[in-house]
Amino acid sequence: MSDAKAVADRLMKVKRLNALLTPPKDLRKSLSVQAAAARPTGVLYGMPVAVKDNICTLEFTTSCGSRILEGYRSPYDATAIAKLKAAGALIAGKTNCDEFAMGSSTEHSAYGRVIHPLDKTRVPGGSSGGSAALVGAGVVPAALGSETGGSVRQPASFCGVVGIKPTYGRVSRYGLVAFGSSLDQIGVLGRSVHDAARVLSVISGRDSRDATCEDRDPLRLPTVPESLQGFVVGLPREYFPPELDPAVRRACERAVRLMKEQGAAVREVSLPHTAYAVPTYYVIAPAEASSNLARYDGVRYGPRFDGAADLRTLYRTTRGQGFGPEVRRRILVGTYVLSAGYYDAYYRRAQQMRALIAQDFRNVFDRGVDLLFTPTTPTPAFKAGEKLGDPIAMYLSDIFTVTANLAGLPAMSIPIGQVKGLPIGGQLIGQAFLEDEMIEAAYALERVVPATDEA
Amino acid sequence: MSVTRDEVLRIARLAELDVDEDALPELADQMSRILDYVAQLSAVPANGSVKVFVPGADAIRFRADEVIPSPLAFGPKEFAPAFKEGFFVVPRLDQFE
Repeated sequence: MSDAKAVADRLMKVKRLNALLTPPKDLRKSLSVQAAAARPTGVLYGMPVAVKDNICTLEFTTSCGSRILEGYRSPYDATAIAKLKAAGALIAGKTNCDEFAMGSSTEHSAYGRVIHPLDKTRVPGGSSGGSAALVGAGVVPAALGSETGGSVRQPASFCGVVGIKPTYGRVSRYGLVAFGSSLDQIGVLGRSVHDAARVLSVISGRDSRDATCEDRDPLRLPTVPESLQGFVVGLPREYFPPELDPAVRRACERAVRLMKEQGAAVREVSLPHTAYAVPTYYVIAPAEASSNLARYDGVRYGPRFDGAADLRTLYRTTRGQGFGPEVRRRILVGTYVLSAGYYDAYYRRAQQMRALIAQDFRNVFDRGVDLLFTPTTPTPAFKAGEKLGDPIAMYLSDIFTVTANLAGLPAMSIPIGQVKGLPIGGQLIGQAFLEDEMIEAAYALERVVPATDEA
Repeated sequence: MSVTRDEVLRIARLAELDVDEDALPELADQMSRILDYVAQLSAVPANGSVKVFVPGADAIRFRADEVIPSPLAFGPKEFAPAFKEGFFVVPRLDQFE
């Protein structure tokens, strides 16, 4: 029981980060109940795992960082949560996030922004910013996040932790609150490659409750390789543009040198449609969000904003008052691009561009490249407020991560250096369902890269 | 692409979303900028030679046609804003549109 108490104490110590949405009293009580019930034979026995607030848990509320689900309690556990519990892990509270996972800085939460664990003037990234901040602050060894366009890898990179987004279909989404259904995946943040990978291996695998989850065994954990002998690593030139932050470039070059020293063959490759990834994403994701978020109407769950004399007014006031500005903006853009007369110009074109982006990756992998290495983000963590007034500038911070979501590929970020004390992440992009190869390479890189040294 | 104030209102009605009168000019401006930005997608050849992307497996997986229970720890009474005698309670529909 002392373990559960120690976890709760640690979580309370970082209250200033505003990373946790669960009240301290509820957390303490639940952790001791969970610890008493946890299976001692489970592979994650006693491991505290914090969970992003858009993943349904029987313990605690699931608000998605939104007023429209304030106080909502789910009547079931997400499959990923049920699997964690069956492995003996403890659900260590719900983490703050951008509302409905829409954002790249965790400034779009209805419950206040999350503070970067190393610099209070900066953002932790987003949308899984609460999960990244807690792992970065050393409070929990791992946390669940979710990705639609980079929401695990980008905050992992900003907070100096490991973040893995698995292949589309690798992890069941039963109980993950839907945002962009052709893109969404649950991902894992961990303080090391091993912590993230072992949680991922537990939550992965088939699930009859999610038809988009592939009929495959859980991910097999690879061993730490002796070297990178035999690996062919591609460096896509579009991910190293002239305007790339010089420290990010230096850190990447150092990581590449270290991979070569470990025996990897490195070659430059090209993914010519990369420049179109962000515009493609910002048609598809809002379109799917406008449809998925139609269910929040003040009728079935969450608070109702009362006083409406008729049903339409109830819908409109509940949604108008319950959704924050970024969610409203995306619902409107999504509704616009799907509306009569615009579908072909926007949504259909975006799905075609998406096919071209996915084909870029296939072309490279077909030519013998095993993995790609890129920076995770163009810059280290930016200042709070810096991009709030300019949605497109905010969207562009996902420029290197969003392609893997569009193509459904596994990808991960690992810390590869720092600049003025701020972490820099390097990204590995793997082939569909070959997470084990990607994780193997990450193990090898993690072992040699000076993650906390200035680049 | 310039979105007008009236267009924002029309879209907001389609989305069943109340929008503040004061917020309209900024929303119209931001939507215009976002739509201008995504207009780059016109680089896709319009002749239909590019297929659309479908995520996930190439083929639909069939499964046994049987009911799998999804047990809930508690019912809608616990989380619905208004629930009575097995029904979600809502105000009357003003008119059929």
